[in-house]
Amino acid sequence: MTELVQVMILGAMLGGVYAVMAAGLTLVFGVMRIVNIAHAAFMLLGAYLAFWLFTRFHLDPIAAIAVVMPVLFVAGMAVYRLLFTRIVDSHRHVEMTVLLTFALALVVEGVGGSVATGIYRTTTPEYASDAIDVGPFYLPTGQLYATVLSFVLLGALLAFLRFTRTGRAIRATMQNRAAAQLVGVNVERISMVTFGIGIALAGAAGSLMSFLFTFFPSQHWQWIASLLALIVLGGMGSLAGTIVAAMLLSITAGVVSNALGPTWSPATFYLALFVILMVRPQGLFGKKSEM
Amino acid sequence: MTLLEINKVSSGYSGGPNIVNGVSLVIESGKTYCIIGPNGAGKSTLLRTICGLLRPRSGTIVLKGQRVDGLRPDQILERGLCFVPQDRSLFPDMTVAENLLMGGYTLRDRRKLADRMAAVYAMFPILDERRSQRARTLSGGQQQMLAMGRALLLDPDVILLDEPSVGLAPRIVQQVFDAIARLKAAGKTLVIVEQNARKGLECADRGCVLDLGEKRLEGPAETLLQDPKIQELYLGKRRARPELL
Repeated sequence: MTELVQVMILGAMLGGVYAVMAAGLTLVFGVMRIVNIAHAAFMLLGAYLAFWLFTRFHLDPIAAIAVVMPVLFVAGMAVYRLLFTRIVDSHRHVEMTVLLTFALALVVEGVGGSVATGIYRTTTPEYASDAIDVGPFYLPTGQLYATVLSFVLLGALLAFLRFTRTGRAIRATMQNRAAAQLVGVNVERISMVTFGIGIALAGAAGSLMSFLFTFFPSQHWQWIASLLALIVLGGMGSLAGTIVAAMLLSITAGVVSNALGPTWSPATFYLALFVILMVRPQGLFGKKSEM
Repeated sequence: MTLLEINKVSSGYSGGPNIVNGVSLVIESGKTYCIIGPNGAGKSTLLRTICGLLRPRSGTIVLKGQRVDGLRPDQILERGLCFVPQDRSLFPDMTVAENLLMGGYTLRDRRKLADRMAAVYAMFPILDERRSQRARTLSGGQQQMLAMGRALLLDPDVILLDEPSVGLAPRIVQQVFDAIARLKAAGKTLVIVEQNARKGLECADRGCVLDLGEKRLEGPAETLLQDPKIQELYLGKRRARPELL
C-alpha cells in the first residue's frame, strides 16, 4: 500500500511537468490549428541549451529558464513568421502544418545531432540526486522543485490568459477566430505571439527535463507521441483538460510501470488514446461544436 | 450626408462565381437601410465584403470619403464600421463582461472603455444583470443584444447587422427590433439584412431588394412596404385588391 501511494505521489509530481510540456502544444493547436510535431524537438533544444549553460557557465538549470524561455520565445516567433505565414491561406491547412512541423522536427533533430552528438546527456545540479523524507514516503528534491516550478509556470500562463489584453485576445482567437478578427484582433500577430509562447513553454519544460531525465537528439519522437496522446485525452485546445490529463496519465503510467515494468509505461499513453477516441472522441474537456 | 458608398461591387468565394454582382448603394448618415431578398441572394456576402472579411473582386467602397476596399477587417473597424454577423460571433466561453471588453479591444483608453461599457449596460440592462455569465449560456435574444452591445463599444459610425432576428422565437424577435430601435434613437447609422422583410422595412428609412446578387428595387422603406410586387414576393401577401388599399 505504501508502495502504491509512493508511486502515485511520484506520478502526480511528474504530471505537473508533463502539463508544462503539453501546455504549449495545446495552446498552439487551439489558436491556429497547428499540430506542432516539432514541439518536443524544441523542448529538447531547451534541454540542450540548459545543458550548455550548466556545463559552460555553471548556471543552474532552473535559473536557466530565465534565459531559455526568452530565447525560444523569439525563436518561435521567427519560425512562425518565416514558415507558417506562407501556408496560412492553404486549402489543406492542417495537413500542411503537420508536414511543415514534421520537417521542422527533422531539421532541429539533425542540427542537434551534428552539434551535440548522440551522446546521452543530463544536467547534474546537487539537488538532482537528493531526496526529502516525509513520513514513510520520499520526495526526490529535483522532482519536487520541478513540480513546484511547473505549477508556477502554469499559474502564470493562466493568469496571463485571463487578465491581460493580449491573453484575452489569445483566448478570443481560440474560441472564435472570425469574431476575434471582427473586433479588431490582428489574428496573425496573435498567432505569432502564441507560437512564441508555446515554444517558450517547451523550452522551460526542456530546462526542467534536463535534470529529471537523460536525453539525446532523437528522443523527441518518444516525447511528442506521448504529448499528443495527452492533449487528445484532454480535448485538443483545452488547457484545463491538458493539466487534468497530464495528471491522470502520469499517475496511471507510474502505477502501470511499477506493476508491469517500465517498458509498459509509454503503452499507457497510447492505450488511453485508443480508449478516449472510442468513448469520448472530443476528449475530456473538449467541445463537440462551437456556438 | 453620405456616410458609406458602395460602387458596383462584385465579390464571391475563392474560385467560385460572383455572388454579388455590381451592386451600388448609398447610405446616409443617421439613417437605417434595410436589404431584403430571398435566400442565396448574396445579402450576407455583400455585408461580409463591406466589412472586409471578403475582398471585393471589383468596385469600390468609400467610408467617410476614404476608400476602404482591400483593407483588413480590423482596419475597417478602426475607420468606424462594425459588423454583427448572423451567427452573432460571440466568444462562447467568455463572460458577458469579457465579450464587451473584447469589443473594445482596439480601445487603449481604459476610462473610455469603462464609460462605453457603462453606456452599453444602460442601454441593455439584461447584460448588466448577466455580466459574469458565459455567453454560451445566454438565450438567443440575449446573445443578439450582447453582439449589438459589443459592436457599440467602439462607438462606430456604421453598424452592419446580418439577420438579427434569425432563429429567434416571435416574442424574442420583438425584443431584438426594440434593441434596433434603441440603436436608431442613439443616432447610429444601420445597414440591416433581414429575412423578416416586413419587420426590417418597418424599422428602416430606405431599403432595397437583392436578388441573384443584383439590386432590383430601391426606395424609401414605406414605398417598398406598399409596393404590390414586394408585398406579393416578400411580405407574404396575395396581390392586394385595390379596394382594400
